[in-house]
Amino acid sequence: MILSPGAFARLGALIVAVVVLQLSGLGPIRILGGHFDLVPLLVAAIGLYAGSVPGAATGFATGFFLDLSLGQDMGASALVLTAVGYGVGRFRELQDPAHGLLPIAVGAVASAAYLLAFAAVSFMLQFDASVSPLVLRDILLTTLLNAIVALPVFAAVRRVMGPSLAVDPSELRRRRRPPQEAGPIGLRGLSVDR
Amino acid sequence: MFDKNVVRRRRAALAVFVGLSLVLLTVYFGESGGGVLHTLQRGAQQAISPLQSGASRALKPVRDLFGWVGDTVDAKGENDDLRSEVESLRKDVAGAQTARRDADELRGIVGLAKQSGFPSDVEPVTGRVIARSPTVWYSSVQIDVGSADGVKRDQPVITSGGLAGKVTSVTGGTARVTLILDSTSAVSAQVVPKGTSGVVKPQVGKPTDLLLDFIDRKRKVTKGATVITSGFTSSKVESLFPRGIPIGRVSKVEPDEFELYQRVHIRPFADLRRMDFVQVLTPRANDERAESRP
Repeated sequence: MILSPGAFARLGALIVAVVVLQLSGLGPIRILGGHFDLVPLLVAAIGLYAGSVPGAATGFATGFFLDLSLGQDMGASALVLTAVGYGVGRFRELQDPAHGLLPIAVGAVASAAYLLAFAAVSFMLQFDASVSPLVLRDILLTTLLNAIVALPVFAAVRRVMGPSLAVDPSELRRRRRPPQEAGPIGLRGLSVDR
Repeated sequence: MFDKNVVRRRRAALAVFVGLSLVLLTVYFGESGGGVLHTLQRGAQQAISPLQSGASRALKPVRDLFGWVGDTVDAKGENDDLRSEVESLRKDVAGAQTARRDADELRGIVGLAKQSGFPSDVEPVTGRVIARSPTVWYSSVQIDVGSADGVKRDQPVITSGGLAGKVTSVTGGTARVTLILDSTSAVSAQVVPKGTSGVVKPQVGKPTDLLLDFIDRKRKVTKGATVITSGFTSSKVESLFPRGIPIGRVSKVEPDEFELYQRVHIRPFADLRRMDFVQVLTPRANDERAESRP
């Protein structure tokens, strides 16, 4: 990721917009008991497109702002989202994946990891109530809903952050495409009709 | 192959962020309600509340549309004949339902305050919900009334149907309400008319099912009985909820031969996941004067 004032401004605006949208717009929308959660998708998208350190930094900043806005235990979301951003970033650095549908899988795994880890942290911090098995249904449905919206969310993040990304993921995919067959005189771009 | 400096920098960055998170957690739990982080939280909530309020109002039709679609899916069998007609009217209906739901909810809140047995020495302050916690672990909402409207920490909050929770932090124009669904919530309650007392606690992940705990298994509790606040909270010492606020109806009683207490399930009167308006029960002006007298 190219570190510039513009990149920080774009990322900051993206974090504020996503958190406000999540808390005041999307959070209350329940679909079959689950809900969309854009927060882990944003962090996963930055991790995937920019790498582990920007992913971890975005995770921390998003979690910090989320805890600040909600008035819940400070640091809990930041801790979990830092791990999610770093994990997705490391996956990209080690595997260098370029499949077009990758955001669906990454979004689903990141969302499930975030929800499970957040549940574990909440449970460890302060807990004095019984837990219904329906929590697992909530996690599963939210993961599925996030997988459905992952492609447009990742595309939107890539569009907003595009100028600041050192490597454009779509460019990476184009590079991986197998070369077209050349004509008999070896001119690139001339296909052979058979 | 691997640049050692890059690896070292990457690990250092991760350690810094994880360390900062742990420091935040430690300081937050260690400090009092007036500490730096709590003050920072209140300031941030105050600062972004106009944004949240705007987003909440702007996206309300979308939320209602989704809620309406969900209800339609649930009632699929009954609505087959009307589906095509409903499809074309969906947008109009979503708008109309937004207004009707608001009116119903406000009427329900006003009606609740007129019920016999409802505390009479309180002055309700109506507020709109502008943000909600996205997780099931922290059930809280933010409302658009605050200390400027007379709202103070620990005041009870009701919504259409019954008890919603209590105010846990306040800024000038906003307040955070921790709902009775929150894992930390415990409300002293009694079953009417017999007066059997217990403590209402939530079941995380099951917003339509509360537990009335500490009911002696020899006491008979009948299905369908109404549960109201009993006038003091079990949570430590303070008495926060006045007597007589409806909480819910007994939906199931589970006697346990091996336990001292029976588990009584309650279905709350209020739909806490979809409420848009609440009322904070503030003390009446003359009561406040009496309170301030030495």
